[in-house]
Amino acid sequence: MTDINTDNVKSQMRKGVLEYCILSILNNNDAYASSLIEELKNAKMIVVEGTLYPLLTRQKNQGLLSYRWEESPQGPPRKYYSITDKGKELLAEMDSAWKELVQTIDLIRNNKL
Amino acid sequence: MKKVVNVGIGGRTFVIDEDAYQKLDQYLVRFREKTGLGFETGDIMDDLEQRIAELFTEALGSRGDVVNITIVNKIISQLGMPDGGTMDENFTSAGAASAEANTQPLAKKLFRDPDNKIIGGVCSGFALYLNLDVTLMRIIFILTLFMGGIGFWAYIIFWIIAPAAYTAAQKCEMRGIPVTAENLRKFSTIK
Repeated sequence: MTDINTDNVKSQMRKGVLEYCILSILNNNDAYASSLIEELKNAKMIVVEGTLYPLLTRQKNQGLLSYRWEESPQGPPRKYYSITDKGKELLAEMDSAWKELVQTIDLIRNNKL
Repeated sequence: MKKVVNVGIGGRTFVIDEDAYQKLDQYLVRFREKTGLGFETGDIMDDLEQRIAELFTEALGSRGDVVNITIVNKIISQLGMPDGGTMDENFTSAGAASAEANTQPLAKKLFRDPDNKIIGGVCSGFALYLNLDVTLMRIIFILTLFMGGIGFWAYIIFWIIAPAAYTAAQKCEMRGIPVTAENLRKFSTIK
């Protein structure tokens, strides 16, 4: 029972910062959906790939990221995602929110509040 | 010997075993249901199919073989569901939940419906209670007016004794849906 709960808490935490992660990765360099997935999986941020697609579409519709079609060596062209200016603005806000959160948690954990 | 199917996924064609095809088809249907974003689903499914095509190509290598159930199962567990679950656990829990919801509808309460009223909202309240169309309910009511005026007195009495559903919680009870935060938001007047 505790295992299920800890897993659940962990996955909720990851979910909360997943959008932040996507924007951060795209801020470093443009990426195919498959390489995004690769990176997030390596970082253990996602377990199954299906979670990513609804997020990407939502962020695209919110104007945070855009994509262009790029030829690929094998098979048909693929979507190549990049971050927009609006996405960069949000990312900057997320960055400071994240720093704040880390600090706050640090303070709480060390009983300094 | 097995029957095979030709499918086009993500702009590529694959030869796929029939059982594998059915499994994949089921998976896509469930994924679509789980996504639940309406008009955006098309985009998401396109992306997903692209990914499936990529994974198929990877799995087959250059052999140009037939996609079999092992490959499909592996890919399905790799892709999972949009909420992070797996296909089967989602199916059983969703299936069980919807079966429960179907067998045990919540008892509706009779309210007057002030959002959809002509006189006092009695007809619209009854229509929701009896699962009838409001217009049909009103026609029935008007007919009863001509049958000795019973309908008239019944209307007055219900107008007096049946409470009107003003709060979001009452509106949920009136429709017989559970009073959850999500349902409350539907009827909340504060946007």
